[in-house]
Amino acid sequence: MNREQLNMLKELMAVQFTVLELHLYLDTHPTDQKALMEYNSMVHQLEVLKQQYQQRYGPLTWGEPSAYPWQWINEPWPWEICYE
Amino acid sequence: MWIYEKKLQYPAKVGRANVKMAKYLITQYGGPDGELSAALRYLTQRYTMPTPQAKGILTDIGTEELAHLEIIATLVYKLMDGASVEELKQVDLGGYYADHDKAVYYVNGSGVPWTATYIMAKGDPVADLHEDMAAEEKARATYDWLIDLSDDPDLNDTLKFLREREIVHFQRFGETLQIVQEYLDTKKYF
Amino acid sequence: MFAANERMRLARAYVPFQIFSKRLDPMEGLMKGTIFPELYFPYRRHKR
Ligand SMILES: [Fe+2]
Repeated sequence: MNREQLNMLKELMAVQFTVLELHLYLDTHPTDQKALMEYNSMVHQLEVLKQQYQQRYGPLTWGEPSAYPWQWINEPWPWEICYE
Repeated sequence: MWIYEKKLQYPAKVGRANVKMAKYLITQYGGPDGELSAALRYLTQRYTMPTPQAKGILTDIGTEELAHLEIIATLVYKLMDGASVEELKQVDLGGYYADHDKAVYYVNGSGVPWTATYIMAKGDPVADLHEDMAAEEKARATYDWLIDLSDDPDLNDTLKFLREREIVHFQRFGETLQIVQEYLDTKKYF
Repeated sequence: MFAANERMRLARAYVPFQIFSKRLDPMEGLMKGTIFPELYFPYRRHKR
């Protein structure tokens, strides 16, 4: 995996992690408006990053469009990547 | 239902292959306080939770534990990468090799396979949430001991990430316990 | 040490609720394992 793809993937991990953290927080604080606003804005950022990544490197998940041939099975799989 | 995402939650690195560490670390795959136990425990306890917050948090933390399971598998896979039969024999993984070659299997650090007796679903939400908080502390302690055992800064970086997640999960279960206790109190005085 | 009061009774465990104020930026949060500075309690080598 080249530098550029790896950096984009890490950026995606970071933003998705922020969304996850706010998500878990909201599970036990459903009426925290500040956290909810933050969550919604981070979800938007994540959506943009995901679309950019998938357009360049193929689907990250189920239900995404694919170029020919079927891109889903492209290597490397997550455990095969050198994250250095 | 569940949907797979073709990425890890964290960029999991190891500095070098190390079969001895693989042997220790695999307990977080198939051991009592490991990620498989955590995921299966939370995902099955959620059905008998009384409040929406509790159903949500068990679903979401249970799902995150599956992502941690994948990180542990990745680390074990990388730690065993390229190991010879001779190296496996030296760290007493000959028995493991006979059963699994270098496949990643659900065992603890002594080779004992995973068992459902590691987890409980009591049906009493207060009892179950206490088990979950204890489970998070036990997993946190296991990561402490694993970091003590390891001299690989790259591996430790990922172990520290997983260790910190246990602390956040403990906090969420603690908050959930509060919500559930208050809910049960109001129910009693109808 | 706390005494039991109308908010806290005996024979019960309590974890204080977190109140969200600020968060770390996404990459720093990922590297630390939490985006909440008040929940960050890193590993320290003790003994052994
Ligand atoms: Fe956990």
